[in-house]
Amino acid sequence: MKMTKFFAWLAIAIGLIYFFVPLLGTFEFSLRMRRGEYSFDAYDSVFSDVQFQQTFGFSILMALFTIAFGMLLVVPTAYWVRLRLPQMRPVVEFVTLMPLVIPAIVIVFGYLRLYNSSSYIPFTGSTFGTNVLLVMSYITLSLPYMYRSVDTAMRTIDVRTLTEAAEILGAKWPTILFKCIFPNVMSGVLSGAFITFAIVMGEFTMAALLNRPAFGPYLQLVGANKAYEPSALAVIAFAMTWLSMGLIQLVSRLSKMAPARSA
Amino acid sequence: MSFLVLDSLKKSFGQTQVVKDFHMAIEKGEFISFLGPSGCGKTTILRMIAGFETPSDGTITINGRNQSGLKTSQRNIGMVFQAYALFPNMNVFDNVAFGLKVAGMPKAQIEGRVKEMLKLIHLEHLADRYPYQMSGGQQQRVALARALAPKPQVLLLDEPLSALDAKIRVSLREEIRQIQRQLGITTVFVTHDQEEALSISDRIVVMNAGRADQIGTPSDIYNRPSTRFVASFVGTLNIIDALVADPAANTIRIGDNVIPLREPIGALKAGDKVSIALRPEAGSLSESAKGDTALTGKVVSSHFLGSVVRTKFEVGGNQISFDMFNAPDKVLPQPGETVTLRFAASDLLLIKD
Repeated sequence: MKMTKFFAWLAIAIGLIYFFVPLLGTFEFSLRMRRGEYSFDAYDSVFSDVQFQQTFGFSILMALFTIAFGMLLVVPTAYWVRLRLPQMRPVVEFVTLMPLVIPAIVIVFGYLRLYNSSSYIPFTGSTFGTNVLLVMSYITLSLPYMYRSVDTAMRTIDVRTLTEAAEILGAKWPTILFKCIFPNVMSGVLSGAFITFAIVMGEFTMAALLNRPAFGPYLQLVGANKAYEPSALAVIAFAMTWLSMGLIQLVSRLSKMAPARSA
Repeated sequence: MSFLVLDSLKKSFGQTQVVKDFHMAIEKGEFISFLGPSGCGKTTILRMIAGFETPSDGTITINGRNQSGLKTSQRNIGMVFQAYALFPNMNVFDNVAFGLKVAGMPKAQIEGRVKEMLKLIHLEHLADRYPYQMSGGQQQRVALARALAPKPQVLLLDEPLSALDAKIRVSLREEIRQIQRQLGITTVFVTHDQEEALSISDRIVVMNAGRADQIGTPSDIYNRPSTRFVASFVGTLNIIDALVADPAANTIRIGDNVIPLREPIGALKAGDKVSIALRPEAGSLSESAKGDTALTGKVVSSHFLGSVVRTKFEVGGNQISFDMFNAPDKVLPQPGETVTLRFAASDLLLIKD
């Protein structure tokens, strides 16, 4: 029994060392910009860089659009599949899993072929069009996570009966969807939103190949040309991801509290 | 003309016909129960009235208006679901107010109507509670108030008591009936629980394989079941295989006992097989076998069931149960003992298969 416990702790210790030592090393290195003493100069340098502010702001904007339009696509789809087309569930699940199987670079080359400036739908012919294409590509990339989080939240409520209850009280589809269903799957929507945010903020391939000033390509650019700033940026990127994951945990815990109280 | 008319209603799912040529006319203010086993089509009929399912054939008319082509939201029908179906993100007040808000009623009127409904179900003090903060019985009462708030022309109850415990079920069914009487609302209640149906209905429709086997008052259904299915589904009933003894004298033979029937045997000949029903509570034990409405046989078993003692005895290959009220000094009939059960001729019912 004691030996089992020892090995369990050993496994945890190895795991922690594996994950945290490089991170601590990166963090420590990011503090050594000033010779002979630790400082936050690298972080100062990053935060005062106009390009950082622009790319960071651009990626946040793209993330917000991705979340908004992604949810407008995913929530009604998950709802409709659950309510009227349960036989289509395997097909929809397969489609939403495709972005995990097809590499981002293949998807973006597909986009460039389909939507280039000489095609019938020339998205890449203008900055606005390319931004739209970038949002659409982010939606594609985050589809597996968004769909699953929303679908899981829908599983916790009786979508069919709630819809029928609203319908017989005279409600029409927009009212049913936005007043009766959407608020009850908010935990799933928020979980999906945070994970989407984390994906978009760190994404490189799509933004780089569509030539948009996003945070991912900026990370690569700084990494190739500077010494201490890339480490500071890596720590910032990790902090953002962890913040998003923490918020997912918080939202899911808060949503679990309500049913627990009813038991 | 009747208030709610179901005319030649049919419904098929693929190759399976779940409702077969169903007719019924329901008067205004009537409380009708659809009773039957799972899969008999009772819920499908309810869902067709609500507009959730489209009939394959036939028409539904409410207050003279054909409902074909009307969406669920346009029918002005209230419905209470088995799973409560309260909106989890809304408190009691907002749940009850939902239908009124959707209908565009002014805010002040909504408040008045919701308060009136909450008073009706005695839950005024829980207006701010959320569904997860209430018991099943309370949630179902809120669901009833929500269904009634927009003043629907018909109220549909889809097994609303099935998810509740036995004690709450009894009190809530009485409350539902009392509210229904108070408002005079035409109500269709679906249940598989015969006690529920018998206790609160004006009329009961006993459904079997997509058809109405019998439509009648609770007393009719219980005391005069018209088919073997109704007889076996509603209450405990002895179905006895007998032979026609003398068609002219309207008598039948069960083992060595020749018994007159109140109902006419009809065109059957002597020796033809007939099925006879007899309720276990209909007869009583007799010392002598005198009289022509008595059955004599050997006791197979006796079971103590609390308020009653159920004894089985055998007559002409049939095992017949009868119930006696329990008393502290009651001596149970012993297996092998010969007993005679006396009953009124009107207690024997001729059953159609």
